Amino acid sequence: MTTTHAEPVHGGLPHEPEKATAEGRNKVLAFWLFLGGEAVLFGTLFATFLALRGQTNEGPSANELFHLPLVAAATFLLLVSSLTSVFAIQAMHRNRPKLLRNWLLVTVALGACFLGLEIYEFSEYVRHEEFGMTTSAFSSAFYTLVGFHGAHVAFGIVWISLLIGQLAYKGLTVVTAPKIYVSAMYWHFIDVVWVFIFTVVYLLGKVG
Amino acid sequence: MAAEQHTRDNGVKRRHRQEGPQKHVMIFVLSAVLTLIAFAAVAAGDVNPVFAVLLLLVMAVIQVFMQMGYWMHLKDKGHMLPIIFILGGFLIAGTCIIMALYWVWWD
Amino acid sequence: MAQAAHTLKSPKPAAHGVKRYTGLMDWITTVDHKKIAILYLWAGGFFFGIGGIEALLIRWQLIKPMNDFVDAQTFNELITMHGTTMIFLGVMPIIFALMNAVIPLQIGARDVAFPFLNALGFWTFLFGGLLLNLSWLMGGAPDAGWTSYTPLSGAAYSGTHGVDFYTIGLQIAGLGTLIGGINFLATIITMRAPGMSFMRLPMFAWTTFITSAIILFAFPAITVGLVLLTFDRILGANFFVPGGGGSPVLWQHIFWIFGHPEVYILILPAFGMISEVIPTFARKRLFGYSSMVFATILIAFLGFMVWAHHMFTTGLGPVANALFAVSTMLIAVPTGIKIFNWLFTLWGGSVRFTTPNLFASGFIPTFTMGGVTGVMLASAPADFQFHDTYFVVAHFHYVIVGGLVLGLFAGLHYWWPKMFGRMLSETLGKWTFWTFIIGFHLTFFVQHFLGLMGMQRRVFTYLPNQHFDTLNLVSTIGAGLMGLGMLFFLANVWITSRRPPDAGSDPWEDGRTLEWSIPSPPPEYNFKQTPLVRGLDALWKEKAAGNKGMMPAEPIGRIHMPSATPLPFLMSAGIFIAGLGFMFSRDDFASRLVGFLFNNYIVTGLGLLIAFGAMLMRSLYDDHGWHIEPEELEGR
Repeated sequence: MTTTHAEPVHGGLPHEPEKATAEGRNKVLAFWLFLGGEAVLFGTLFATFLALRGQTNEGPSANELFHLPLVAAATFLLLVSSLTSVFAIQAMHRNRPKLLRNWLLVTVALGACFLGLEIYEFSEYVRHEEFGMTTSAFSSAFYTLVGFHGAHVAFGIVWISLLIGQLAYKGLTVVTAPKIYVSAMYWHFIDVVWVFIFTVVYLLGKVG
Repeated sequence: MAAEQHTRDNGVKRRHRQEGPQKHVMIFVLSAVLTLIAFAAVAAGDVNPVFAVLLLLVMAVIQVFMQMGYWMHLKDKGHMLPIIFILGGFLIAGTCIIMALYWVWWD
Repeated sequence: MAQAAHTLKSPKPAAHGVKRYTGLMDWITTVDHKKIAILYLWAGGFFFGIGGIEALLIRWQLIKPMNDFVDAQTFNELITMHGTTMIFLGVMPIIFALMNAVIPLQIGARDVAFPFLNALGFWTFLFGGLLLNLSWLMGGAPDAGWTSYTPLSGAAYSGTHGVDFYTIGLQIAGLGTLIGGINFLATIITMRAPGMSFMRLPMFAWTTFITSAIILFAFPAITVGLVLLTFDRILGANFFVPGGGGSPVLWQHIFWIFGHPEVYILILPAFGMISEVIPTFARKRLFGYSSMVFATILIAFLGFMVWAHHMFTTGLGPVANALFAVSTMLIAVPTGIKIFNWLFTLWGGSVRFTTPNLFASGFIPTFTMGGVTGVMLASAPADFQFHDTYFVVAHFHYVIVGGLVLGLFAGLHYWWPKMFGRMLSETLGKWTFWTFIIGFHLTFFVQHFLGLMGMQRRVFTYLPNQHFDTLNLVSTIGAGLMGLGMLFFLANVWITSRRPPDAGSDPWEDGRTLEWSIPSPPPEYNFKQTPLVRGLDALWKEKAAGNKGMMPAEPIGRIHMPSATPLPFLMSAGIFIAGLGFMFSRDDFASRLVGFLFNNYIVTGLGLLIAFGAMLMRSLYDDHGWHIEPEELEGR
């Protein structure tokens, strides 16, 4: 990682290739709008979880269930992956496709580890704690909120992986750059949602 | 237009100042510290629940605003509409949460 | 369809080796906002017709006491499907039809920001709507009311697949609406012609903008609600099941956090249409333009803060009830501003009562009556009396039919020449107006009194000698008259479609906004040269300055166009198959093969494969589009 501050732009690609075309600018703007909608989507899921968090129906409660070390590990994986996707966009702005690809690969790998931890966590709950979707209103709300986030992570992993493929095939252009930029926005948003999940679901669940 | 100028000038006259990674690493470190404090506070046990809830929420909000401002570039110029729409989303989400906390269960 | 296809046949030869489809494939693959508008209009009209027939059947059942025309179960299905179909599949698509037909033209754009997404939004809406209506043929329609309150709509009390069709059909259709909303937001933000600042946007463009913002923030909430209900019903989750710790009240909250903004999604576009029609035919600029903009934004904001007024009787307590009563009454203020602005626009104008203006003028008092009963309902103590009676039915039909549908009629008559190149017949239009509005008041005015006298909504019949008999008979006669009005309109459309397309670019002669500066129907690229906007009511301003048309903001040049593609259709079809597969994943089938395919989520997987496969194709193969050369534009 170089820290040259005034690097010349190579190959005629503009400084912010994601905003070089009207299509690119439209895409970035519309993705912000979409994230506004996503905020409501997760807001409703959080609301549901908060309303039903105490309704354990004689099943396990949050305090009995959660293991903080696992959650802390998952949190740091996602936080680091958010940072690496920042590096990826910086590499893109410096027009360095190889570096960009590498940072995207790191991001995807960290995301996959996070998802692996989550699947492990869910399977532990189902197998050893008798805590499934149908156990209680709390369990339904927990699996739906955290599962929705997990599904977003899974979608992000597939999406960014495909973009890495496209990057190799098509190169870094004013067409591929907005796609990569938007996927990075999506990835940051997933991390932002996770900040609220680990705080509201896990930590406040432990506090009671 | 700007792009054409770049190639013509061969990057001599108009260079874009690339932002370095330091700022983003700073945000990361701050986020990590806030996260650590949050986990540590809960792991330590016997904290006042009201205080803990406030502390955790405030730290989460600080972290989220820092990440959205710097990592998602909301603090940069030309982001007024994105800010309006993302805050609109947060406003409705907050409304839902108030609903969930006060108006679902009552005696 | 024949008329539409004829009207929009491209006058130019296929050029540049671009693949151009004809016939049905043209409609399936189109990304042209003007054609998508016509698709929305026909699809919305089709569902509106189904919803209307359901309404007539409901009224026929209630024509006399103890009628046995339909049984209680069928009646429940009819009222559920009438409400759901009319709101989600009837009027919203017709609103989208007019938005698609008019908004890019009004803001001086050649296209919407995302032509592909525009097509995708239409097809997901259509497939969602078809899925919902398939329920009539596949074991029974949803029967828990359009609000689908739990636990009635839960698996324990609603055993058929009806409510599953409701939840999954609406999720798919809602996806289409959300996509359309984002597209219009982006279009209005980024595609405006030079000089078209936000405070020069025509009112219909403003209301479309705000409506789309409401869609963006309201539809995710109902999507979550529907997902939770689906999980309850199919996966055995406990969100709304009291026995498992769930809360039925939570469903009501989630539904109305979406549901109340939804009524503003419906009415704001009508406000916009009325605000275009009235200045045109009063030949005066809209009174208080900036206060109209402000009122629209305020209504949208307040619209999110009042949902619990639908739940006064659930027992939220005096504090919540008072809060929501006050916030609800507040909405009367910006709405009143609008009513007065329309009146002041008419005041002193040289008013022409064309069909669109008749509908617009009929809208003002009718909608005001609906607004006044709204304030009555907002009073929480009084609502305990009104709740779930025909008073409520009268109220919301006054705002939705007396407000939105009259607005849609005004808008359709007004923009019909722009969409199809033919003026609708004024004579038949006036017949439509008078039969429809008289029928409307006959149907619903008396329902206020039925409600106050204690007739409950959603009852499939009633006992004689409770003073309900005559009023119900009157109401049914009114419904028949409304149906007659619709027939006049359809006859008008059919007769008009047989006439030559001879509408000029400004057929009402007093057009004020940009859509009247280009031919009717507009060419594929809308504007040969992007116009330069020099004020509010851009075309009127040029006319007043003695200019023939708009001043161009650019020389004639190549115009870039997006390529037609079948992918939106395929993607939506995939989602449709996945939804159907998921719905029947827990069923027993006579055929073992069919059972195997459904129970192992193979059908669901196949549908998702098609949907994501199409998405992947879209991502992998760049659409470079094609160009229209200046020579073609000059007709050489």
